[in-house]
This record gives sequence, C-alpha cells and structure tokens, in this order.
Amino acid sequence: MSAEELVRAQAQELRRGTVVLACLALLREPQYGYALLETLNDAGVSVDGNTLYPLLRRLEKQGLLTSEWNTDESRPRKFYRVSPEGSRVRAGLVDEWRDLVASISRLTEEKP
Amino acid sequence: MNANTLTERYVHEVVRRIPADQRDDVAEELRAVIADTVEARGATEREVVTEMGDPIRLAARYADRPLALIGPGLYPAYVRTLKVLLGGVLPVVVAASMAVEVLNGGGVASAIGTGIGALLTVGAQMIAWLTGVFAVVERSRSLDRLFRGTQSWTPDDLPDAPRSAEASRGVLASAALSTALLALIIWQHVAEPYDADGDRMPVLDPALWSGWIWPILAGLAGTALCELVRVAVHRWTVPLAAVYAAAEAVFAFSLIWVLHRQALFNPDFLATVNDGKGWTVPDSLYISTILVVLAVSVSEVVGCFRQARN
Repeated sequence: MSAEELVRAQAQELRRGTVVLACLALLREPQYGYALLETLNDAGVSVDGNTLYPLLRRLEKQGLLTSEWNTDESRPRKFYRVSPEGSRVRAGLVDEWRDLVASISRLTEEKP
Repeated sequence: MNANTLTERYVHEVVRRIPADQRDDVAEELRAVIADTVEARGATEREVVTEMGDPIRLAARYADRPLALIGPGLYPAYVRTLKVLLGGVLPVVVAASMAVEVLNGGGVASAIGTGIGALLTVGAQMIAWLTGVFAVVERSRSLDRLFRGTQSWTPDDLPDAPRSAEASRGVLASAALSTALLALIIWQHVAEPYDADGDRMPVLDPALWSGWIWPILAGLAGTALCELVRVAVHRWTVPLAAVYAAAEAVFAFSLIWVLHRQALFNPDFLATVNDGKGWTVPDSLYISTILVVLAVSVSEVVGCFRQARN
C-alpha cells in the first residue's frame, strides 16, 4: 500500500465517529434523509447513504433524534431533528472533540 | 404504485430482513430517499440502487445485526472446539468404524471405504452442528445474555486458568462421548453391523425405533448441545444447567425404562449370540446397569449446578 492509500484508509477511520456529531449539529433544523446527506457532503463530511440512513434510525432509537413524516409535498418524507437529549449529547461530544483537537495539536506540534 | 419497479424490488429485499414492526416505516423512507436521489442527481434508478449496495448489508445496518456468522467474541471458542472435534474425536470414530468393519470380516478395501464414509459424514455433521449452535448464540443477544448470566464482564468472571482449560476439555470430551454414542446407535440400526452367517442384523431392538429410542436420542442430542453452548460461553449458568438437567433426565429415564423392560437388545441378536450356549442376560446385569445410568446422570447434573452456582 502506498503512503496515499494508507492516509486515505486511516482518514476514513478518523472520520467514522464524526458523522454522528455532524448530524447532531446539523439537525437542530429538521431535515430529511437525502437533503441531510447533501448538506453533509457539501460541508466536507463525506458519508454514503447506506451508512447515513440506518445511522439516523439508530440515533432515533437511542432517543437522540425525533422524527416526523411530512406529507405536505408530493412525496412523503421523514424529517429528523435533535431531541433535548440529543442536544446534551452534542454538547458533550463537542467538548470531547475540542479536547481531542487540542491534544493532537500539542502532540503533532513541530518542534523548533 | 407499480410493484415491480427496481425500487420496489430493492426495498422489498431490504425490509424483509428487518424486524416486522419497522418494515413499513423503513420501506417508506427508502422509497423517498431513492426517489429524492434520482430526482436531485438526474441519475437512473439503477445507478442509485447500485450505490445503495447489497440489500443484505443495508438490512444488517438497519437491524444493527452482525454481518458475520460467528463474530470475534465467539470465534476463539469455536475454533478451539472445532479443533478438538475434528482432530480428536473424528479420528477415533473413523478408526472405530474401520475396526468394526475388519472384525466383521469386511476386508481392507471395504474397511477403507467405511472409513472414508465415516470421515465425510461424521465430519460434516460435526462442522454443521457446531457452526449451527455457535451461530445461534451469536445471533441471539438475549440468549447470549441469558447464558452468560451477567451483561458486562468483570475480572471476577476470569476463571482459574489451568483448571478452566481442563474443565472445558472435560465438557468437550463429554459432548464428544454423547455425540459418539448417538452416532453409534444410529449406525448400528442403519448399517446392521452384526453378521450372523450372512444374516445382518442390528444389535439393538428394531422395535425401539417406533418408540423409546427417540427420547433417548433427543436427550443425548440435548445434552451434547448444552455442552457445546457451555464451551461457547465459558461457564455453566443456572438456566443452562436446567436445560441440561432436563435433557439428561429425558435420556436417563427413557433408557432406564427400556432397560427395566429388558427391551434394549434385538431378540434375534441375543438369540444368535446365545445360540446353543444356554446363557441368557441375567436380571442382575440389567439392574446394575440401571443403577450406573442413574448414578452417572445424577452426578453429571449435580456437577453442572454446582459449577453454575460458583
């Protein structure tokens, strides 16, 4: 495996856990599956539909998201939004994320 | 809605693999997602469905189910048990079946044929049953929890190293013995190994096959399965010991009843063996066998419960 391939593989590992945090952040506004996927990918958090859609249901089952069917438009769509519990989890995850960034920056600082 | 569109076929393939109470909701959501994607990207249904990938994989993600027959948690115990069965028990069974064939005057070629037959059929049975038991334990999280007794692992769960390995080996040997006995009973009925001047006959009474042999075989199979589960989850638990006790009771009481009525052996076989010698199986032999069966069963069951309580 070349260095680039290794970076790509490891980067995927690094990104894996960030999708949950990104969802909890974005779903402060209600959003349906495909639109959320697009928003995430535009924001640089790349994720596939076959990962995201089951993930949304799991977060709902864990009580971090709530959902509602919207039948106003031509096609019924399931809209997800963050529950109060999800907001608390998001705040905790944001703290974790900051700590992680700080730790890794200290560790990877260029030594003079 | 046209039920045979690519979307409908795909959605059906996914939702039929997830729990029934979620099916309609997931189906509706998948339809919307596929339609949204087609519309937004100007892609074909086919491209979108291809990107969503294998329905089995997607369904496993929805159901939060492992995509492995035997996961990393059970894998070591599975491999260990398989090694003992294929490396230790199978050769003994094969050698025994070949020896019987030679003793019956079958000749070398026929003995080799019997050996290969036993190797393939008994080996396949061992792999199939073992894999089945482990896959069921893997899939059923509630079963797994029930058998493990506790949900989370603590250092207290650590067994004493050398003794536990011995205990596991003992249980494996016991399971192997039950399986071998089971195979022997079926084999003597199917192969009719006893050869009396060209007249082949089974050793046990064929009349048993329309009656008491079934609880005996079921009890044996039940105890062997319990012992395999015991190896998979590393210890006896009270529910598991209870199931084991039930299976052992079915086996022991059926066997004792058959022994009590002296209806175990094929009368033709006994007649041939005793031919002209004026010897019959004494009652005391039956009674002492009954006592041995009773004693062994009780001590096995008591042992399981004692280990489960510790």
